[in-house]
Amino acid sequence: MQSGSLFHSQKELAMTNYGFLIDQRKCIGCHACSTACKSENEVPLGVYRTWVKYVETGTFPNTRRHFQVTRCNHCANPPCVRICPVTAMYQRTDGIVEFDPKVCIGCKACMQACPYDAIYIDPDTHNAAKCHFCAHRIDQGLKPACEIVCPEQAIISGDLDDPNSLISQLIARHPVAVRKPEQGTAPKLFYIDADQTTLTPTAAPVGATFMWADVVSEQLVGHHNGNGHAKPTREVIPLTAASGATIRPPREQGLGVGQTPLMLGGRIAGHMVQTGYNAQHKVPWHWPVPAYLVTKGIGSGVFLAVAAAVGLGLAPLTAPLLAIALFVSLLFIAITTLLLIIDLDKPHMFFTILTRPQWRSWLTRGAFALIAFSAVAGIWFLAEAGAALNLVPAAVAEALRLPLAWVGMPLAVLAAIYTAFLFAQAEGRDLWQSPLLPVHLLAQALMAGSGTMLIMALFMSMPPALLTVLVWLFAGSLILDLFMILLGEFGIPHASEVAARAAHDISHGRYRQHFWQGAITLGHVVPIALLALALLAPGLAAPLLAAAGLAAIAGLYAFEYAFVMAPQHVPNS
Amino acid sequence: MATSLLNRLLGTLSQTSSARVEPLTPPVARYVPSSAPATAPTSVELRDYPPVERWNDWTEYDPKAWPQKVARRYTLVPTVCFNCESACGLLAYVDVETLKIKKFEGNPLHPGSRGRNCAKGPATLNQVYDPDRILYPLKRAGKRGEGKWVRVSWDEALNEIAARIRKAIIEQRQTEIIYHVGRPGHDGFMEWVLPAWGVDAHNSHTNVCSSGARCGQAMWMGYDRPSPDHANARVILLISSHLETGHYFNPHAQRIMEGKMAGAKLIVFDTRLSNTASLADEWISPWPGSETAILLAIANYLIRTGQYDRAFVRRWVNWADYLRAEHPDLPVSFEHFEMKLQELYAQYTFEFAAQESGVSAEQIERVAKIIARCEGKLATHSWRSATSSNLGGWMIARCLWFLNVLTGSIGVEGGTSANVWDKWIPRHPNMAPHPKVWNELTWPQEYPLNFYEMSILLPHFLKEGRGKVDTYFTRVYNPLWTNPDGMSWLEVLTDESKIGLHVHLSPTWSETGWFADYILPMGVGAERHDMMSQETHAGCWIAFRQPVIREAMRRLGRPVRDTREANPGEVWEEVEFWIELSWRIDPDGSLGIRKTFESPYRPGQKITVDELYGWMFENHVPGLPEAAAKEGLTPLEYMRRYGAFELRKGVQPTFNKPLSPSELAEATIDPDTGIVYTKTPAPPSSNITPLPYFEPDPERGRPIGIRLEDGEIVTGFLTPSRKLEFYSTTLRDWGWPEYAIPTYIHSHVHPSKVDRSKNEVVLLSTFRLPTLIHTRSGNAKWLYEISHKNPVWIHTSDAERLGLRTGDLIKVITEIGYFVDRVWVTEGIRPGVIACSHHLGRWRLQEDGGGRLSTALVELKQEGDGQWKMRQIHGIKPYQSDDPDTARIWWEDAGVHQNLTFPVHPDPISGMHCWHQKVRIEPAGPNDRYGDIYVDTKRAHEVYREWLAMTRPAYKVSPNGLRRPHWLLRPFRPAREAYRLPQKQKS
Repeated sequence: MQSGSLFHSQKELAMTNYGFLIDQRKCIGCHACSTACKSENEVPLGVYRTWVKYVETGTFPNTRRHFQVTRCNHCANPPCVRICPVTAMYQRTDGIVEFDPKVCIGCKACMQACPYDAIYIDPDTHNAAKCHFCAHRIDQGLKPACEIVCPEQAIISGDLDDPNSLISQLIARHPVAVRKPEQGTAPKLFYIDADQTTLTPTAAPVGATFMWADVVSEQLVGHHNGNGHAKPTREVIPLTAASGATIRPPREQGLGVGQTPLMLGGRIAGHMVQTGYNAQHKVPWHWPVPAYLVTKGIGSGVFLAVAAAVGLGLAPLTAPLLAIALFVSLLFIAITTLLLIIDLDKPHMFFTILTRPQWRSWLTRGAFALIAFSAVAGIWFLAEAGAALNLVPAAVAEALRLPLAWVGMPLAVLAAIYTAFLFAQAEGRDLWQSPLLPVHLLAQALMAGSGTMLIMALFMSMPPALLTVLVWLFAGSLILDLFMILLGEFGIPHASEVAARAAHDISHGRYRQHFWQGAITLGHVVPIALLALALLAPGLAAPLLAAAGLAAIAGLYAFEYAFVMAPQHVPNS
Repeated sequence: MATSLLNRLLGTLSQTSSARVEPLTPPVARYVPSSAPATAPTSVELRDYPPVERWNDWTEYDPKAWPQKVARRYTLVPTVCFNCESACGLLAYVDVETLKIKKFEGNPLHPGSRGRNCAKGPATLNQVYDPDRILYPLKRAGKRGEGKWVRVSWDEALNEIAARIRKAIIEQRQTEIIYHVGRPGHDGFMEWVLPAWGVDAHNSHTNVCSSGARCGQAMWMGYDRPSPDHANARVILLISSHLETGHYFNPHAQRIMEGKMAGAKLIVFDTRLSNTASLADEWISPWPGSETAILLAIANYLIRTGQYDRAFVRRWVNWADYLRAEHPDLPVSFEHFEMKLQELYAQYTFEFAAQESGVSAEQIERVAKIIARCEGKLATHSWRSATSSNLGGWMIARCLWFLNVLTGSIGVEGGTSANVWDKWIPRHPNMAPHPKVWNELTWPQEYPLNFYEMSILLPHFLKEGRGKVDTYFTRVYNPLWTNPDGMSWLEVLTDESKIGLHVHLSPTWSETGWFADYILPMGVGAERHDMMSQETHAGCWIAFRQPVIREAMRRLGRPVRDTREANPGEVWEEVEFWIELSWRIDPDGSLGIRKTFESPYRPGQKITVDELYGWMFENHVPGLPEAAAKEGLTPLEYMRRYGAFELRKGVQPTFNKPLSPSELAEATIDPDTGIVYTKTPAPPSSNITPLPYFEPDPERGRPIGIRLEDGEIVTGFLTPSRKLEFYSTTLRDWGWPEYAIPTYIHSHVHPSKVDRSKNEVVLLSTFRLPTLIHTRSGNAKWLYEISHKNPVWIHTSDAERLGLRTGDLIKVITEIGYFVDRVWVTEGIRPGVIACSHHLGRWRLQEDGGGRLSTALVELKQEGDGQWKMRQIHGIKPYQSDDPDTARIWWEDAGVHQNLTFPVHPDPISGMHCWHQKVRIEPAGPNDRYGDIYVDTKRAHEVYREWLAMTRPAYKVSPNGLRRPHWLLRPFRPAREAYRLPQKQKS
């Protein structure tokens, strides 16, 4: 080794597994780590790589303020890395979860995947960013900036694989906790003496203000504003057990008691649990994502409707009609792609998905699924349009029709449902991780696709057989969708508190109008009523069916909006 | 399986590039070579800091370009933080290409801070690159306070100010010059400058800060500040929140926690749940002002159960003085004293303390038992909070020290020392003699025992016509905002007949600066020279603040003559400014001022910064020249490179030091008191830390020690008895015999004076946040992002009674006005007490009036004589500047300025402004808006008169015709002749 060199050799690094330990017995909540990090990494205002959460608990004079140094956990199994379509987030061989701002396309999927609120979009450079263990210092043999500034030496970095390192010794000898171990991410940020009220993101309500700071986060405002004193919830009527003892009635699964999952009370002048300070986060995904789900559903659904009709021979379809249907399908897939791109914080980087795909990411897989689907739909469209315009011999188009329908169908299904797999990778949003979601998305695609065809039927003539197929398909998928929403997504109790909270927010909270008036009434009750009317008044069937299709699509958007937004409001830190 | 296959097939580019490590190219350019011993690191352990031998030329990866490895080259310059008083070390990373400061880390060689910092250390960078800072000297163009400014040259400013001062001095108007400073950020420097002018001009912030605690300490032992050895203590007893606030925040927080982790019990008295209280083993939340009752109950327990250090008390307490004076009938024996001691404190039972404080008797007993087991290792500290908030708050500090005395925890490992044992201020060159004048505007006759200048009363004194100010300097001080009764300050600051010229020295805009005639921009921590030494722990050190760009330029072979050449704009530094100003006051030396500022190396020439510090480091810092020589450096070069020097580790009290035979050679010993006198003149001390002072008398000379009961002859304490003064003859003789021994004084907010049925509560109006430091940190974006508002803490039961929830508006009605703020409902405060941090609520009067990061724009209206109304027009808003971050400011709240609504409450003994306010609270009405403030300065003046009436002025009580007991500490001590009371008033 060169004299005076501070740099590790490759070999030494390969044997390292970095992790953090925060000793909350010593932490005094001074925020030195927060500003040292801002300084070291030039972190802009409004976003944080590390911060100190404050929670106050107790009843005077038995009260405490708990601190928690909060940041990326450098998970051994990092979901942000898995979901990143372009390997902008990656795990180094020394265990540091690192990011490359230049590669990032700004899709924010990593923010959805992180169950710890550790990632933000840099307002300057528009890439995802987070604590990266000061890897630029580590590679020079220096400890992270937060660690060296800490007056109490309460932040300890080190090699978890070295049994002689200080961090290993402390972890071995003290009870330690991590945040949300149930996520299976294997966090490598350990806490000595952290409190459940700080570890559990939803345990401490947020009031109208913090102790020293404004509350402005779109994630927090208006929902978890309990002030530590929940309004008394529904009157609890004691039940009587067989023994005659009065007992508490069972409550809803997953929702905790009152506002917190921890049983710490919440009466005025009672047991206080309130957040004194926390970093505030933005909701990463907004309207383009629910809109993309709808347009993708239409694009794939229209294709599926006509391909099924062709493939199963349910209705005779002509080249012009097929050309128009396929054009509509392609148009909505194009809009889908456009929505995907405009939602990127670095839209010009979109092609990076194709040039450096990361194949574990369902964003990558989905992009390729869409491309494959669009290719088949496009070839078929060219053939049919060519035939319709006499540019291609009709026989050629007819010969291609059946194989293309059969090849296209699984791709269309994949295009419709891959988002379920992407959402399942979003480990920060438990509600999205529903095993029903692929089937649900398929039902929604069929509903939206057939609904769109019914609208199209108002402007073009369709063979009655096809209309029959469409009406059956529409009605069937509509009822299936309703069934899946009411009995599936919302009827079945949610396994995790986070999912239960989001579902509750949809059915009873911030998004209840989207849900009841939009998704259920406009999206299902109205179309079913219109279908019934169409049966009763066949003369008005065409406009009634078109209206039913339109209502179902509008309702679908309302549903998707609530479904996409609600889980993002549940704090992860 | 399929994906990994695909992965391989497609040959993804991404997975391979990340973790390769390659050494940086070694730097090629030539810098000042380091001669420090090179120690090549042998292990792969991560290290805290770059090795010191490479500080001159250090290469680091650019974090913004990362993970691309782009190297940046820095020279690392140590300096000292200029935020709070702790004087922690910083290490500036100066980019050698751009000469920009990249960041500040800690200085690992600093013995106080040991390389670590609080949030304010790194945020120094914000203060340097604050887009709203003042870069050029400004002179007012319109009326004072109108907000019109013109840029002027330094020469113009210096000449006008110097001419005025020169004229005042020649016309014997020395007392019309006042230099009013916040926390100075240096040691010894103004003690060098102002006496040279022959003025008694110093005015400090002490009586809004520490007068109470200082007075209580000084009455025991002459020294006015403690130096606890937290790290080695068995019991740490803190009054106030030392894990998040000052004296000395970061250095103390390190050692308190070190002590706690090593098994010490941490006891914290704090009415609100501070971070410190939260981490305490025992949090005591007393009714404000009742701390003394609890401390005396603990003392009583120690006395009653005989669990006190009898040997120590017998040896060191002036019990004989007590017996002789108060019980002349009793034999002067320790046993009789012990008997009396039991009697004196028997009334302070746990039940009594519980009744006074609201704290349970069980908890007080528990704490007493913990303290009884401290084994002489009790580290105590009280700074601000209780001692600075209550009428008689000084007695809290005195009773706290009582516990140190009883447990013998003084000057021992794990105990508490006096600050002067752990502090070193090197002698400056050519120091002038004590001035012969006494300034009654700062040292009025009503307060003969004050600690120190009665700065809060200046507006009232000027209004009463007690004098006027010709030239008034405010330096890193914002009295209009920080002091109580700011509107009275505003009224006198705008009155040119009362204040002739107001010169504001500051790096940034402030409410006070707005009412100046000159604003002269001075550097922040990285832009100035200062010497500092603080009693942060059991040890002694000095630290050197330096302008880091200037030092970097010097290292790069581009030395500058004047710090302005290295600082942004024309920002200067005080050291050079005062030397230059002093020189211009007396350019030809005829006033005798100039000679202080002449170079000790080049006779008759103006001293330079390098010469000033070089001379001090060479001549008056023991061990430094030797340490420097070992590395082939001059002492100044050593300090420039390392930034700090440790004079001593560990505890070193002076009181127990036997007198040497040479000292005893010419000595006489008083047979009654045992005090040792000598006629040999005192050798000049290298350490000029202010000490109590006993003028030699013509017969016996000066006191130098004491013969103890056991015959040992030692230095003793610097008190009249040379012992720890349980019985203060000074208090007795200067009009306060009832307080001659530690006793309980009812605060002005004693429960009997607060009618809770009328919604009267106590407002606890002073506490620091760990992130901010008064108005000094207003230009640090990272700090304001974390903390920018100060809601009123209120207990849930009080909130419920008023129907308030967190975020609701409350009207807090004081004696002279009211303010409207939001509430923070919490169980972390005693019912009947509300609390509001004093850090926030900054304001400005014009949209572009500076400090947009931290100030609300307000409208200020005078409605009738002395009736002022302030209303916020808007809070904090994002704005465009060179720093893109200012456009991303996301918070709106700037807090509420509560101090405006407080009248002055000067303690009649210590002079401390007693910050606690008895207030009435109610929910805000329909016409009240957030941030509304109303003040009646006429009423404020009446309250001032009420408190003034409580004093026992020197002209009534002085036993010897002096203004003040001569031995008592007094910074900028005038010559003895100035102590004499003017004859006409002595009637």
